[in-house]
Amino acid sequence: MREGIYDVYEVFVQHNKTDHHVHVGSVLAPSPDLALHVARENFLRRDRAVSIWVVRREDIHATSYQDPDFFARETDKTYREVSGYTENGRLWRMFKQRMMNIEEVVEDMRGDDR
Amino acid sequence: MATSTLTLEEIREQILQDEQKAAFLARIERGEKIEATDWMPDEYRQLLIRLIHMHGISEVMGCYPEKEWVPKAPNLRRKLAIMAKVQDEVGHGQLLLRVAEDLAAPLNRTRDDLMADLFVSKVKFHNVFHMEARTWADAGLIGWLVDGAAICTQASLLDTSYAPYGRMLKRICAEESFHMQHGESICLALAQGTAKQRAMLQDALERWWEALMFFFGPPEMSEAAKKMLVYKIRTKTNEELRQKYLNRYVPRIQALGLKIPDPNLRYDETKQRWVYTEPDWDKFYRIVRDNQGPKSRERIELRRQAHEGNRWVREAMTRVRARMTG
Ligand SMILES: [Fe+2]
Ligand SMILES: [Fe+2]
Repeated sequence: MREGIYDVYEVFVQHNKTDHHVHVGSVLAPSPDLALHVARENFLRRDRAVSIWVVRREDIHATSYQDPDFFARETDKTYREVSGYTENGRLWRMFKQRMMNIEEVVEDMRGDDR
Repeated sequence: MATSTLTLEEIREQILQDEQKAAFLARIERGEKIEATDWMPDEYRQLLIRLIHMHGISEVMGCYPEKEWVPKAPNLRRKLAIMAKVQDEVGHGQLLLRVAEDLAAPLNRTRDDLMADLFVSKVKFHNVFHMEARTWADAGLIGWLVDGAAICTQASLLDTSYAPYGRMLKRICAEESFHMQHGESICLALAQGTAKQRAMLQDALERWWEALMFFFGPPEMSEAAKKMLVYKIRTKTNEELRQKYLNRYVPRIQALGLKIPDPNLRYDETKQRWVYTEPDWDKFYRIVRDNQGPKSRERIELRRQAHEGNRWVREAMTRVRARMTG
């Protein structure tokens, strides 16, 4: 590290223990310790949070934007997705029932009305 | 900054002459966003650095007129609020300089270099931050009308073709929503106040109007600004932004009973645009290019003292680390 020249740290903020850390940007700092402080000052002047990670940019391994093939989706993936099963709604109606979705089940299970 | 007679189409044609640039422009015209690690034409990089460097330094210099009012704010709540706002602007400066220095890294330029450019007039900052904030009404008016103008510009840049800038602007715009309410709150209080307070607000408007008309830059744009439009770094012309700003703010200024110091200002129904007295653009260039505004020298000097004064801290911190890691 050249004198007076700082490192770039990528900053990840966790707003809540039920959420993952999310990348919010980067800071320039002379040490991980100070990077954490600068990150708090830059990104958390208002928002609440429970944790910050800072990672030296050079320690991050990333895919390349130049290689979109890495994310290629050659085949139809609708069999993996809700959108592939729209037929169910029509079939349930034939059986005089309504199709459910996961959101309403989650809401039901978490709710305390019985 | 000579204005250019080239049309956007002519500039686009020039870019298309070069095969690599043409392929790059095609990506942008398809709506793709560019990342810092993507290949980009040198001129695209230079345009971005020029814009974002100036934006970042302007945020930092934007602290000076308002910070003068932190010790003199009329009550504790106002003091806390204006302090928070100044802090936000420092934060915006840091985030934007981060984006600029990633672009400048291949050119071997660091944060220190980007900051030092200010001291030798190699980077400009917004004309409004060269002006004096004489009274508390000036502080309020800055929050209301200067931040208002900055919000218009920044909101229009959210669609920029350069993704890292767009992402930062999202965060910045979210914080500006507080700046907007903060400035409006001060001005609304003064507008409801005593005759003396209302006169103070009117005086401030008279001092600031010309600077606000300068804010979006001359209707005739430079070649660099036109290239930014072609590369979709920005998406609105200076005049488009000024017209949108006037649309939004003139009725509100008038609603507070304030008189805008331009006898020619009116909305022309047939042309569907605001007509106004053309401000003295030579004066504008003397302020932003030659740093000849009323407070330019003094504030650059304050910034230089702060930067030089902290140098030993920056050096000491990196020296310790260099020794620890060997
Ligand atoms: Fe700002
Ligand atoms: Fe602001």
